[in-house]
Amino acid sequence: MSAVSLSTPSSAERSRQDGSSLVVEGLSVTATGAQDTTRRTLVREISFSLEPGATLALVGESGSGKSMTARAILGLLPQNVRATGSARLEDIEIVGARERELRRLRGARLSLLLQDPFTMLNPLQSAFDTVAESLPRSVRRDRPRARDEVERRLLEVGVDPTLAGRRYPFQLSGGMRQRVALAASLAKDPQVLIADEPTTALDVTTQRDILELLAQLQRTRGMSLLLITHDLAVAFSVCDQVLVLYAGSTLEHGPSAVLADEPAHPYTAMLRASSPPANHFVERLEAIPGTVPAADSVANQCAFAERCNWARPICSATYTVAQPVGEGHASACIRVDEIRPELRRLGEAAVGEVRRAATSLGSASALLEVHDLSKSYRTVSLVGKSREVEAVRGVSFRIDAGESLGLVGESGSGKTSIARCILGLSAPEAGRIRLEGTDITDYRALSRTELAQVRASVQIVFQDPYASLNPRLRIGSVLAEAVQARGVKRLDTASEVAELLQLVGLSKDYASRRPRALSGGERQRVAIARALAIQPLLLVCDEPVASLDVSVQAQILELLRDIRRQRSTSMLFITHDLAVVRQMTERVIVLYAGEIVEEGSTADVLDAPQHPYTQRLLASRLD
Amino acid sequence: MTVSPEIITESRVDRARLRRLPFLTAVALVVALAVTVAVAFGSLIAPHDPDAQDLILGASGRSAEHWLGTDDLGRDVFSRMIVGARAALLGPLVVAFVTLVIGAPLGLMAGFYGGRVDGAISRGADLIWALPALLVAIVVLGVVDGGYWLTVAVIAFLSLPHMIRLSRSATLVQARLPYIDAVRALGLSGPRIMSRHVFPNVSPTVVATVLLDFVGALIVFSSLAFLGIGFEPGSADWGTMLASGKELLFINPWLLIGPGIAIVLTAASVTLLGDWAYERLSERDA
Repeated sequence: MSAVSLSTPSSAERSRQDGSSLVVEGLSVTATGAQDTTRRTLVREISFSLEPGATLALVGESGSGKSMTARAILGLLPQNVRATGSARLEDIEIVGARERELRRLRGARLSLLLQDPFTMLNPLQSAFDTVAESLPRSVRRDRPRARDEVERRLLEVGVDPTLAGRRYPFQLSGGMRQRVALAASLAKDPQVLIADEPTTALDVTTQRDILELLAQLQRTRGMSLLLITHDLAVAFSVCDQVLVLYAGSTLEHGPSAVLADEPAHPYTAMLRASSPPANHFVERLEAIPGTVPAADSVANQCAFAERCNWARPICSATYTVAQPVGEGHASACIRVDEIRPELRRLGEAAVGEVRRAATSLGSASALLEVHDLSKSYRTVSLVGKSREVEAVRGVSFRIDAGESLGLVGESGSGKTSIARCILGLSAPEAGRIRLEGTDITDYRALSRTELAQVRASVQIVFQDPYASLNPRLRIGSVLAEAVQARGVKRLDTASEVAELLQLVGLSKDYASRRPRALSGGERQRVAIARALAIQPLLLVCDEPVASLDVSVQAQILELLRDIRRQRSTSMLFITHDLAVVRQMTERVIVLYAGEIVEEGSTADVLDAPQHPYTQRLLASRLD
Repeated sequence: MTVSPEIITESRVDRARLRRLPFLTAVALVVALAVTVAVAFGSLIAPHDPDAQDLILGASGRSAEHWLGTDDLGRDVFSRMIVGARAALLGPLVVAFVTLVIGAPLGLMAGFYGGRVDGAISRGADLIWALPALLVAIVVLGVVDGGYWLTVAVIAFLSLPHMIRLSRSATLVQARLPYIDAVRALGLSGPRIMSRHVFPNVSPTVVATVLLDFVGALIVFSSLAFLGIGFEPGSADWGTMLASGKELLFINPWLLIGPGIAIVLTAASVTLLGDWAYERLSERDA
């Protein structure tokens, strides 16, 4: 019998008799405006039940309502947001419950683990105190017993209490912090743990460890786990059941294995197909067009209709809750019976591609040469000595004209420091950087004409599309300024701005909008257009898709590949994601703690990694 | 402060917009507009000639003819208050303007360039801040025996650090964001990046600070006038009126209460408007 039952009322009824721990039925979340006249739907009629010891993943992109659902279940909704419907933990109704009742539930029977290990721990509490505070009051009162208990709890999550117990959050790594937070949220032995993107802020290798720990604790304790994530691969790797949310609607719900092999909703199928594979190169990435809509704007239709290849007019006119399509499997697609064979083929096509490397567009002449580059940062402290952190140590590489080089590493490996040195945004301590034969190690030493030439040759696209555009300027002004930086007269920019927008797949009327009105993917397109305005020879892409919704990433990657095909721009592609490296580069450099540990052609390095670190990176992939 | 007829018509025109304002902000706006009109057209709207003496009447209490009574020379207190707004507020206005055009750019430069530029500007600002402003003003003006404009210059100079510090810290936040790196990579010059990219994004802080500096200067000017420094005795000015009013407290208390209320109400209104402007301007990017 599957651990999570299908969300039809009759089966919910049945599972409750079996003593199911958490039953959510027709739960909707709405936000009310200040005047109480405007109501916006955030989550629409979500239903599921979670039996003791079962695992369910809520999967969705930004705006899908997955976090709001979790908060509704904990009674932790923001002030102007209300939940209707029902969420019961055994026989206690949570929706509409009083704060006093909710407090008895939280921590003790329902517990929450949050995403960001950098802000969710109190910086003034040691790991020991954090866990101690969460213990049941009876244990906390008895000091010696509390100490033993905290030590046991820390050991349970793999933290050595004698080494790390007295450390403060800033002295712990991201993974350690997440372990401490996990120990704290399990301190009252809850029946249900809700983990909201518990590994999103972590490095790939750490993510794997934390997910394994989570799965292991869930099994040994026999508790239920509600995992909230944007990543289907994470969901499949940890949970038996997956519920796919999109713009507030439940699109598909079923066992992980079934969803992975035979998705019964176009969104799930396209999401699978559009995530680039790490083990082979794909000629054309299957991108889902468009962007995620606001839940409220698609409240009376299929939420995915606008972006769906199989949409018919009827899809935009009717809303249906997920209907059963198989054993414990439900889909909200009304055309599922007709299109199922096609959905299956979509999955096969993605797997059946030929294994081959990206064709090199490079020629033999070096565009950028980096020789023995070192960069360190000094941290100044009020008392005591200032410390020096070496971010980059003796790194050398070259990029040929037209070539795309991948720079792979985890946070703190020094990859962004290298990019900043190349762009003259910070100055290296030692080493040489040459661009087209010009020494650009120290931008301040360049003559005016040299500087202008260098600035026109190398550009950058940043990770965070929300911070990389000036919020006060219209898109047209942002691009016009970039065009003028090339020396074009003010009057001649309008047509070029329109061309740039077209190049990155945006219509002309975006020129009059402000960044605020754009989605993350659209902002990233504008940032790419700005970088291209100057017609650079080298484009540095610093994690350009890491902050974007999963369904939008493939679009941006495909756009960057298009640009290379059209303009043969060289690229330095900085990323932590090996699948992205496989699709975007011919050669790759693996950085670890500021040093190059492996380099070679992308296919060679990813197919037969030599260095233990590269091997570990590859082994940490979840697909 | 009494609301003059002009203001009522103006606020009626703008009623749709005012209705969306928080009540206190709307009140503050009306007060600020009334004060602005008094500064601009003081002698035109005053019911009496502020300098016309009526020695036979002398100091008197409130009456239908003289709404807030008269002072010891029989001059109309209400008219002197309206006309006195200019002398009381012109100095603070100039001070606020100076902090905007000199202090804000210095703060921007300190935050944007960092390093030695920051060191020089910030240490200079710290040095000025270490001086007790009112005391320095009293000493300088007492020694040099300068007039009104020297007072303005001294207060403006001493008000700079506040703006420099706040605009610098707001700039530090913005300068770290990728959009600034992006335009640096485009090769734009420092002054252009500061004026076109940094300034619009620190403007909420700058606007709020300008208004606070105005209020601070208003208090300092009134204190100096009360002490008889930098202002000619007998001039129509809120601080000077306060000083002369204390002797006639029992004959016409309004000589003291009127200008006192004017100072407090103006200061409170401008502070409120500063808060409101900061919130509104910050909201624009949210």
